[in-house]
Amino acid sequence: MAATLDPVTTKTNYLNALKSAIDEEMGRNPDMICLGEDIGILGGAFGVTEGLQAKYGTHRVMDMPISEAAIVGVSCGAALGGKTVMAEMQFIDFISCGFDQIVNMTATYHYRTAGEVNIPMVIRGPAGGYGGGALYHSQMNEAWFANSPGLKIVCPSTPSDAKGLMISALRDPNPVLFYEIKELYRKREIEEELNAGDDAIVPLGKARIAREGADVTLVTYGQNVWHCLEAADNLAKEGYSAEVIDIRTLVPLDEETIIASLQKTNRLVVVNEAPMTCGFAGEILARMTTKAFRYLDAPPARVTRLDTPVPWVKPLELHVLPSVEKITETALQTIRF
Amino acid sequence: MTPTATKTKAAPRKLEPHQTPILARDLLTPEDHRELLNQLYLARYFDVRLIKEKKRGRLRGTLYSSHNQEAVLVGSLYGLEPTDWISPIHRDMPAFFLKDAKNGWRNPERIGMSIEEVCSQVWCKVTSPGRARDNWSHIGSKAKRIIHSTSMLAGTIPVAAGVAYANRLDGGNDVVLTYNGEGSTAQGIFHEAINFAAVHKLPVVTIVENNQWAYGTPLELSSPNKDVADRAKGYSIPGLVADGQDVLDVYDKVMQAVEHARAGNGPSIVECKTFRAYGHGDHDDDRAARYRTKEDVESGRSRDPIAICKIHLVNKGYLTKAEAKKYMAENKHATQTSDEDFPPDVVSYMSKGIEFALASPPPPAEEGAMWVFREEN
Repeated sequence: MAATLDPVTTKTNYLNALKSAIDEEMGRNPDMICLGEDIGILGGAFGVTEGLQAKYGTHRVMDMPISEAAIVGVSCGAALGGKTVMAEMQFIDFISCGFDQIVNMTATYHYRTAGEVNIPMVIRGPAGGYGGGALYHSQMNEAWFANSPGLKIVCPSTPSDAKGLMISALRDPNPVLFYEIKELYRKREIEEELNAGDDAIVPLGKARIAREGADVTLVTYGQNVWHCLEAADNLAKEGYSAEVIDIRTLVPLDEETIIASLQKTNRLVVVNEAPMTCGFAGEILARMTTKAFRYLDAPPARVTRLDTPVPWVKPLELHVLPSVEKITETALQTIRF
Repeated sequence: MTPTATKTKAAPRKLEPHQTPILARDLLTPEDHRELLNQLYLARYFDVRLIKEKKRGRLRGTLYSSHNQEAVLVGSLYGLEPTDWISPIHRDMPAFFLKDAKNGWRNPERIGMSIEEVCSQVWCKVTSPGRARDNWSHIGSKAKRIIHSTSMLAGTIPVAAGVAYANRLDGGNDVVLTYNGEGSTAQGIFHEAINFAAVHKLPVVTIVENNQWAYGTPLELSSPNKDVADRAKGYSIPGLVADGQDVLDVYDKVMQAVEHARAGNGPSIVECKTFRAYGHGDHDDDRAARYRTKEDVESGRSRDPIAICKIHLVNKGYLTKAEAKKYMAENKHATQTSDEDFPPDVVSYMSKGIEFALASPPPPAEEGAMWVFREEN
């Protein structure tokens, strides 16, 4: 076998995958602009936009005041004025400060204008727990927006999905909320080689089967995909094969892929690190209970955060969040029902 | 004009090229002045006609009367370029058809809404610009450069700033005029948006229609500022105060802000002091009569913008006293007016709009589920 390049040098992490998508779209679409706190001079709190202001100018990569509502509202207006906008929330937790402008102004614009206006805009930001970020740097608040018609919601778990979904989001004619998992930003173990050009595109609304299996379907997204894969390893040791579905897009939801899996496994466990009550896991359970009831041989279950905020110190945080152990245990109960 | 009715006035002052006008109004022609009065009649007639239709039970939803506040709308809109943007809110219904109205009320090419479109919205018809999906003033048009508002007050100011920013990137210098009540100045987004616009010197003019009452809350409980225009000092931008009953004063002050904005000097706040004639909405008329004293209401309505405009026109010799008395829409409660109190052209314009709306169908029920997402780019 001929010598190959060191594979490490060609692999990309989740953060750089996002950056390359934004960079490529900025290069491709002269009408695209980026707005956010500290995204220009600093290059973003996590560095997702590093180098973009030098490349595209202060007028296209703009540092915003600490005004999340204005970031969203100005982005909405710029989109009304013909621009495609990437708006960064420094942490997705801060999105609550821009809530009205998202759910009332932006999400409804297409609807209330009977289609005259559409708002091509991506609101993206680092999300999720497990990092000791405490109450206001650990949230997964996607359910607030899933309950607000007019918004698409995306949450990738791999570098190639991060890039591919970001390109799709930035080309979508609708407002898209893009939940980036900050614990995955620089995780070495998940780095991978990325496709270039149009081959990199991952369409919105298509789930990914992260692992095939026959005995139980674990439906999840974001960081919990990796927890579910670990749980699947545990289940294999017990003699069961778990199918892991990464939905990747919450709105619109790829129900077909989940239903097809349930036809095979007849058992469903949904995993999500957001709080249980009215969380998106509950939505998936509800839809599958009504649409795939006939395939289910056991009560569908969910593993979510407890109905608590995310506490700071590690033992407390891990106590309230879904863990590999909880997922494994719940899956076993479901399989052995 | 009958020569005996008034003493002959000099022709309007023509400025030599080297002269700088002191006030924007100095460049208005006699025709402009008469058009301002006609637009005041038009705004008033639209309002009183709807009040009457509402009382007859012919309209859905809440009517937020602009009675007594028409000079704010007419005076602020008159000097705009057709391609400038506006964002009216609930009490500004006439703004939709007054935008670019000086290019001909019935001119289909003008960049403003037709009375047919506005009446279609009020009567919940499919011919409304938003196909009657959201109520009353929540219409707009990208093509007509009118930003669609929500019920969340001050919420259009950041959108206006975004429109202005996009326009600047495209090399334009269109001005965006946003309308707000004095109550809106207490909203967080009011601050965030004007702060941002000031940082980037965006051409956004924030009109504050200070009608003294935010629903049932008086100004002194909404704002520590006697003049809410004083809030401008916090952003190092001009804060102008206009007599909201005087269409020419509104015109002057708004034009000052608009020219400042168009020249690249950034945003302004223009407070127009006025008074809400009735309740917050028509549902509130009875209670408003109790939470506001009779004396305050009488005093607040004592300076009718139509009457004040007529005084200007008569003083300038653009209208005879006899002409001024021909259509007496001023100083009357909406229900006391009749069509004879308005110029026939005003009545026919509005009537045609209503006829069109009445003849139009409602939107089909299935449209309720449509346009949540745009399917194609």
